[in-house]
Amino acid sequence: MKRFEAMKAVMAAVKDEPVVVTLGHSAQELYQIGDRPQNFYMLGSMGLATSIAHGIALSRPGKVVALDGDSAVTMNMGELATIGFNLTPNLVVVIIDNEANGATGFQPSMTGKRLKLDEVARGCGIQNVSVVNNEAEVTEQMTKALADKNGPYVIVVKAEVGIAPGIEILPFTSEQIRDRFKQAIAADSAA
Amino acid sequence: MSTPTELLWRALRQEGADFFVSVPCKLLGNMINLLQEAEDVVYTPVSREEEGVGLLAGAWLAGRTPVMIMQNSGLGNSVNAILSLLHYYRIPAVFVMSHRGSDGETIEAQFQMGSAVANLLTATRVPYYELSSVDDLNVLPEAMATAREKGQPVGLLLPFSFWKGDA
Repeated sequence: MKRFEAMKAVMAAVKDEPVVVTLGHSAQELYQIGDRPQNFYMLGSMGLATSIAHGIALSRPGKVVALDGDSAVTMNMGELATIGFNLTPNLVVVIIDNEANGATGFQPSMTGKRLKLDEVARGCGIQNVSVVNNEAEVTEQMTKALADKNGPYVIVVKAEVGIAPGIEILPFTSEQIRDRFKQAIAADSAA
Repeated sequence: MSTPTELLWRALRQEGADFFVSVPCKLLGNMINLLQEAEDVVYTPVSREEEGVGLLAGAWLAGRTPVMIMQNSGLGNSVNAILSLLHYYRIPAVFVMSHRGSDGETIEAQFQMGSAVANLLTATRVPYYELSSVDDLNVLPEAMATAREKGQPVGLLLPFSFWKGDA
């Protein structure tokens, strides 16, 4: 299972929940899997996809999904501490862990050696933490996480390296991404 | 008589601020205590200011009016997020910053960032207001309107003189 298949399996369980995706090929692959206004494509600020999703989750009652990568989470590991501090019940963090930095030629990342992000999440006080290895498990964990009122959930998806063929630069301006996302989630947002 | 912390809190709430994150500074201790007890707002401490910028962006996308309570040194930890996230997507936010290294500072290590902060705010295109006393809180409506209407962060710099009399 590569990241593209893993993200497809994630999105198979997602209905109208907002999804905040990390930059680069991850954002482009999510666009190819299925563009929707509830996708926030974070195209700069590496590391902050989970923080943005957490900010949304703290602001409103509905479930929110972060689609993050192992290197990006490593860059902003303090967010897991903040999630553990709040035990934000409506937040689902998916970490696609391919043990490599895809954008720069798949050099090994920290998780390719000894770093276990699931253990970091548990050490931060998050209890619903799983490590999954195939598409069926991904969809099953996601379905459970989205149905359970007692989150937060952290799902580490072990993936093989690789970039989906045919992906392209997103055809949106930053303000288009912002406006349609804000509007799409407004029904469940603060006044 | 109200303390600077209480007056600042009331001014922020008056302008609709309802989502707060904080990073510690001794000048902000009373504000952080107040936030822990506050009702009708969302509040969380964060591990680092850059992370805080991400939370503010998410909060605004979900309809909130977000504020970060931080030390000016934390501006340095946030530079890329201010530009690549807040400016890029045109997202409003307010940075309430204690200005360490201003007159009254006793910690030598604070002077380096203290003297760089104005240039850093200019370089990251964050308009800012220096509040030398609580009387200057009357700039709050203009500051927050700027953030809201232009879709960008604004800064409030609060030196030691602002906090005079904070119990």
